[in-house]
Amino acid sequence: MIILLIILIILALLGLPLFVALGAGGLYASIQSELDPVVLIIELYRLASHPNLISIPLFTFAGMTMAAGGGPQRLIKLFDALLGWMPGGLAMAAIVSCAFFTAFTGASGVTIIALGGLLYPLFMQSNYSERFSLGLLTSSGSLGLLFPPSLAILLYGIVSGTSIDDLFLAGIVPGLILLIMLSLYSFKSALVWHAPPHPFSWKRLRTAARETIWDIFLPVLVMTGIFGGFVTVTEAAAVTAAYALFIETVIYREIKLTENLPNILIDTAKLVGSILIILGVAMGLTNLLIDTQLPSRLLTFIESHISSQLQFLLLLNIFLLIIGAMMDIFSAIVVVVPLIMPLALRYQIDPVHLGIIFLANLEIGYMTPPVGINLFIASQRFGKTILTLFKSAIPFLAIMLVWLLMISYMPVLTLWWK
Amino acid sequence: MRPLEDLLFRTRLGLIQLEKILAGLSLLLLLIIALSQVVLRNFFELGFADLDVIARHLVLFVTFMGAALASEGNKHIKIDCVSSAIKPRFRDRLKKPLIAISSIVCAIFFWYALQFWIDESQYAPDNEQLALYMALILPLGFLTLSLHFFLLVFSRDTAFIE
Repeated sequence: MIILLIILIILALLGLPLFVALGAGGLYASIQSELDPVVLIIELYRLASHPNLISIPLFTFAGMTMAAGGGPQRLIKLFDALLGWMPGGLAMAAIVSCAFFTAFTGASGVTIIALGGLLYPLFMQSNYSERFSLGLLTSSGSLGLLFPPSLAILLYGIVSGTSIDDLFLAGIVPGLILLIMLSLYSFKSALVWHAPPHPFSWKRLRTAARETIWDIFLPVLVMTGIFGGFVTVTEAAAVTAAYALFIETVIYREIKLTENLPNILIDTAKLVGSILIILGVAMGLTNLLIDTQLPSRLLTFIESHISSQLQFLLLLNIFLLIIGAMMDIFSAIVVVVPLIMPLALRYQIDPVHLGIIFLANLEIGYMTPPVGINLFIASQRFGKTILTLFKSAIPFLAIMLVWLLMISYMPVLTLWWK
Repeated sequence: MRPLEDLLFRTRLGLIQLEKILAGLSLLLLLIIALSQVVLRNFFELGFADLDVIARHLVLFVTFMGAALASEGNKHIKIDCVSSAIKPRFRDRLKKPLIAISSIVCAIFFWYALQFWIDESQYAPDNEQLALYMALILPLGFLTLSLHFFLLVFSRDTAFIE
């Protein structure tokens, strides 16, 4: 039977859809444990009873609606008017716009597709170096991963059983620190190649703000609703989805209900389906692994080699960076989180802090070869080789690694509110 | 195009249309129900348990139909670190066997999901009949996935329908 398992792993590495590989693994594990494979279906059905699950398709729909309705263009205009007068200001505008947008689209590649094509020519026109522009745009696809209502945070909360409200709150400061670090690097870089900023103009800012006011109100709505205790995460998702649809169809009139809405609904379903089907079939497998006491055996092994929390965190970072470079973020959450949760708790790492470390590592994994998805999407979008893009992204990668060390070893940055 | 190939292609087109309609309508209905629950709960202090049951199951409808649509154009999430390194010609040869395996695994899941549903239908109390019928999406979802992969096995790669 071990040969079967090895074959399955090879097939997964060769490109078998992950949900199929995990499903087959679950069938194998249930037969090995002399359990009826119906338990896998019971676990999948249990998924439907999770109270926050409904928020995933709804927040994704809101992001897709904004993407289709020209939200990215409006955001760039606003942040360029706000920050574009500084050296590196356009880069800062790009960083903030991408982070804002990724928070709603769930780092699914939509950011690079929607914003990358707009920003790249703008960077070139403004005398930014090509290498810097490609590096920034490649890394920008996952910048807002820690901001509410990030799809990755929602999924982590559901899989780990951690409060999603707490995770949303914990991600804000680390997310802002990364934006500041990247903005400072942009400022410094722009001084070297003398990219000409445009002068600040109140008129320009007012016009852009007037155009974007409805978009900007969206995160305010989500955060006030959830952190103010007015609505649950699911209710916030419903309101956000309805609000996004309302502004794009009634206020901006960029989306026509009969013409565009069906495609947005279908694209959302495709994205949600490809993520949640993995979660569904993996639930059974991970529970079977827990039944076979794999996490506790792993714990015993690690305890015999690692004594301190510091050592554990270092090992965890290395492990997660490798995982991030090999696996997609959503599958990594579903497969790895149930296995590392007991270990992290043993080393007294707060589950919320663990969540932010986990997602930060995977955020970096998005731009790391061999399968960093941002590299592939950016390669398609800008017509450059993966190697060129990776080389361009190295300075950004280095900054993000420093940031990762900061948030890993300074829990106060994530848990300041506790 | 040979008659059998033509029939399979037409079946696949029909299946895609059905999946699109079900996925889109389920998501739209989910949005409407979720929003009406917010309004009912916060403004009228009302709540309907049945709406909650429907909403929770609609997520499964969106998941299965979305996953079936993601099969088209090979859009499923994969750990393709090895496949991206191998020669395109060899990678192309691997596609159909992998799709066939996917179809078989989904068919096995369909079988167990059907067993689960039959078991549930025997013991479900009257007040859970709605959930029981909505849970039909479990076997039907896996059946759709299996059928979609099966039809893809007999399609030319260039015939992916976006």
